[in-house]
Amino acid sequence: MVGGSDRQASPIWTSLGLKRRRRARSRFRVLIAAGGGAVLASALLAACGTSNASTGPVTLNFYNFPDPSGAVQSAADNCSTASHGRYKIIYNKLQSAADQQRLQMARRLAAHDASMDILGLDVTWEAEFAQAGWIRPWTGALKQQAIAGTLAGPLKTAIWRGQLVAVPYNSNTQLLWYRSDLVKKPPATWAQMFADAQALAKQGKPHLIEIQGAQYEGVVVWFNTLVASSGGSILNATSTQAKLGPPAVKALTIMKTLASSSSVDPSLGVQMEDQNRLAMEAGTAAFELNYPYVYPSMKADNPKLFKVFKWAPYPSVNPGTRAKVTIGGIDLAVSSYSPHPQLAMQAVLCIRNAENQLAAAVKGGLPPTLASVYANPKMQGPYPFRQLILQQVNNGSVRPKTPLYQVVSVAISHQVSPPSSINPVSTEQNMRTQINNALTGRGLTP
Amino acid sequence: MAATTQAKIGWSVANVVTIVLVLIPLVWIISLSFKTPGSITDPTYFPVHWTWANYSGILTTATFLRPLLNSIGIGLIATFIAVVLASMAAYAVARLNFPGKQVLIGVSLLIAMFPAIALATPLFNIERILGLFNTWPGLIIPYIATGLPLGIYTLSAFFREIPWELEKAAKVDGATPFQAFVRVIAPLAAPGMVTTAILVFLFCWNEFLLAITLTATTAARTAPAALSFFTGNSQFAVPTGSISAAAVVITIPIIIFVLFFQRRIVAGLTAGAVKG
Amino acid sequence: MTTVTPPVTAQQPAAGRRRRAPLSEGARAERRLGWLLCAPAVIVMVAVTAYPIGYAVYLSLERYIMSSPQLTKFVGLSNYGAILSSPFWWHALVVTIIITVVSVAIEFVLGMALALLMYRTIWGRGGIRTTILIPYGIVTVAAAFSWLYAWTPSTGYLSALFGNAAPLTSTWQAIGVIILAEIWKTTAFMALLLMAGLSLVPEDLLKASKVDGASAWQRFTKVILPLMKPAILVALLFRMLDAFRIFDNIFILTAGNNGTGSVSILTYDNLFIGLNLGLGSALSILILICVAIIAFVFIKGFGAAAPGTDIRR
Repeated sequence: MVGGSDRQASPIWTSLGLKRRRRARSRFRVLIAAGGGAVLASALLAACGTSNASTGPVTLNFYNFPDPSGAVQSAADNCSTASHGRYKIIYNKLQSAADQQRLQMARRLAAHDASMDILGLDVTWEAEFAQAGWIRPWTGALKQQAIAGTLAGPLKTAIWRGQLVAVPYNSNTQLLWYRSDLVKKPPATWAQMFADAQALAKQGKPHLIEIQGAQYEGVVVWFNTLVASSGGSILNATSTQAKLGPPAVKALTIMKTLASSSSVDPSLGVQMEDQNRLAMEAGTAAFELNYPYVYPSMKADNPKLFKVFKWAPYPSVNPGTRAKVTIGGIDLAVSSYSPHPQLAMQAVLCIRNAENQLAAAVKGGLPPTLASVYANPKMQGPYPFRQLILQQVNNGSVRPKTPLYQVVSVAISHQVSPPSSINPVSTEQNMRTQINNALTGRGLTP
Repeated sequence: MAATTQAKIGWSVANVVTIVLVLIPLVWIISLSFKTPGSITDPTYFPVHWTWANYSGILTTATFLRPLLNSIGIGLIATFIAVVLASMAAYAVARLNFPGKQVLIGVSLLIAMFPAIALATPLFNIERILGLFNTWPGLIIPYIATGLPLGIYTLSAFFREIPWELEKAAKVDGATPFQAFVRVIAPLAAPGMVTTAILVFLFCWNEFLLAITLTATTAARTAPAALSFFTGNSQFAVPTGSISAAAVVITIPIIIFVLFFQRRIVAGLTAGAVKG
Repeated sequence: MTTVTPPVTAQQPAAGRRRRAPLSEGARAERRLGWLLCAPAVIVMVAVTAYPIGYAVYLSLERYIMSSPQLTKFVGLSNYGAILSSPFWWHALVVTIIITVVSVAIEFVLGMALALLMYRTIWGRGGIRTTILIPYGIVTVAAAFSWLYAWTPSTGYLSALFGNAAPLTSTWQAIGVIILAEIWKTTAFMALLLMAGLSLVPEDLLKASKVDGASAWQRFTKVILPLMKPAILVALLFRMLDAFRIFDNIFILTAGNNGTGSVSILTYDNLFIGLNLGLGSALSILILICVAIIAFVFIKGFGAAAPGTDIRR
């Protein structure tokens, strides 16, 4: 990969070899020469690693999450064709776990790897990658094209220190899913949902509330939504210190209330999105807070329950104020080490154009980031809840924007999971200490 | 006599139990590698429906073949250099008298005891600055260094057993020093060097921590590292069958190799550890 | 070596110290040759280990986060303070010590049994030695995957055997599985080292004590064990140091989730999830110190021969 590297190493070894050879005695000459030769041979062998004889269209390496729907692949193909031979996009699938995706990209970028052009970043990584200088800021006409028509919520995730560092590809938001055979009117607030669940429990009906409580990013999404919905934020405006305070205590109180109520799923502490989905499909739960992918899944897995499987806005914390739901999704960025940044940026704009976003939404169930796509009539069938998503995405909250987000996130998830161990006041204090440690580079990643 | 028969049976039972316990996990991964995707979530010990698909799958994709090539190439080069350098040092340790010998042994022992993770952090940073990150030399050089203590240790134990008087005798008989070395000493030293080469190669083949730390793509990633990064088509499809097949592919040749050279390996492993 | 070295310097280990004593031409040439032969090995080892360790010491005194280069500055011992005051470090250390002690203890008992089995058995001695070399030869990662799938609910036979159990999702059960995988892989190594030690016990002595009426257990504890002590200590020291750096098995089996991470996993995570070279280097140094303590305790405390001292003669 880095062809010139071995040449830096060889002078040291070879000069030593020569020095040895001058002084060594006859019978060891053979041995020593063999040793020196072997070192040289290995260096040469490695030098023949990769050669890049490219004529014709420029190859753009696109690294993104593994998409089983085929929407990403067809977007890459469409854009290669549409470029009329200027570039060819190769879609490389990253690992399925988000941590591993980031690890692979960060490690290669830290080593100035020039073989990555377009990067599919989770919406929480932009600050880190931009601060490290790994991704290129967008300017001029390309920036204007990237911003035009993009929803405000997702756009916030792609901005770091006033610069546009990526372009939103898809967004995501959690809705409240409920069973209309159990509750006539969906609860509008957390308090109401707890009351409804308790009433169902008394009647001996399915009453569990399904949400992500395991020690991972999902629980941070929950906490962030609650803090933002209570009118607070996790970090201060400049991301230099923890803010937390009363809104965080309120959020922790809600989490603790669920964990100690009769409507909690006993496995809350290890639950992730998919366990929630399965519990709802199995018919043991009344409420579920989850992403829209559960809708087609219910349709396929349990057609009977699907008839009473309805959606509603994410419950709010304060009555009358809409919840500010954490925004998820993927932003596309261009690597600073890409040899073809201009072409890569043009390719990004193509990959995320309205046509490809529509395909991603219809085939892959990913909420679009371009306002125009929501108005497309083809969205109606698979996305009956599209107006609600549009509204929540636009009014959504963004997770803390800091280059140290990973460590901050770990500090939060270790404080709030399992939710049964929360003690609102002291958890808030501990979390403050942990976050402040993380922000000064003193936070350990467990 | 009855007691002897009884003892015989007792030892035999113990033998059989040991052999079964050793083989169960090995046979399990082999059996998994032959299961069809449909029956892989069926927890039977042996496959009900057999398939070669997992093997044909991994053996036609560069995501496994390239790492396999990397493993072989990196392992052979690192082994060759390590054994050559270790032979020189071990010869000096076993045969010559010079100040600093103790220091050499001390240093190499210190390195043998090193936790690889202690090297991972600084080596990662050094290699990414030098541009050695994710290249063959980027793994070969650390493997030589970690293979050297093992080599010096084992080889000096072997070299001490060589009757060096023969060399003198050959010279008396009119052989040049070079001839004496090639005709007399080299054949005597060869078995020890082969044994050491086997041990060092096994170490390189098995090494995992540095392999995942100092590589990022199939350009230099070795087979065990590639195995741990196999991805299915989606996050719902864990590539159990492919991973199992790949695990078998990197394991079976080594097991055959180990069994073939078992006497040497046992001799090598115990050479330096215990006097005698 | 004493038999063949030139007479002038033979039996004179202090030759280097007595600088004024005139050295013969041969001795000086021999000295030079010795250094020359060792030089390449020493240079490679120093370049790849000593230099990085020195560099790690330097990095450990800095705040150095790869994704925030502008935060980089000298912070003294602050990283060490952060680690030593973090519950994550102490938890990982406890997990590592438990895995080390439990697996080495069980391996020792099993390894001793295996060594006796191989040493005493009349039938199938070669067969059993062949078999136990399989775990030694198998790639740790491949074996770890075998255990992982065996314990995965709805895929694994072991999980099915225990009523669809999922031990890898609970801290202590997962640590149990990790220890099991370690034991399976490395007992063979222990057994081979111990068997070499067994061959040091003179047969006559065992026969004599049998004649004196010692039971098999007495012969084992009073004759065999004391004579094997040096071999046992070396085997235990080797395995302890090896087990303390456990990484592969945990990485595959749990990736350190649910509080099952060893100190090596913790360091890896800080390097690649935290991208924090300062903390990662400080962790590296702390692990080195732990390893040094283990070696020191064995060599000074239990009087284990420092491995390799026999080479010096």
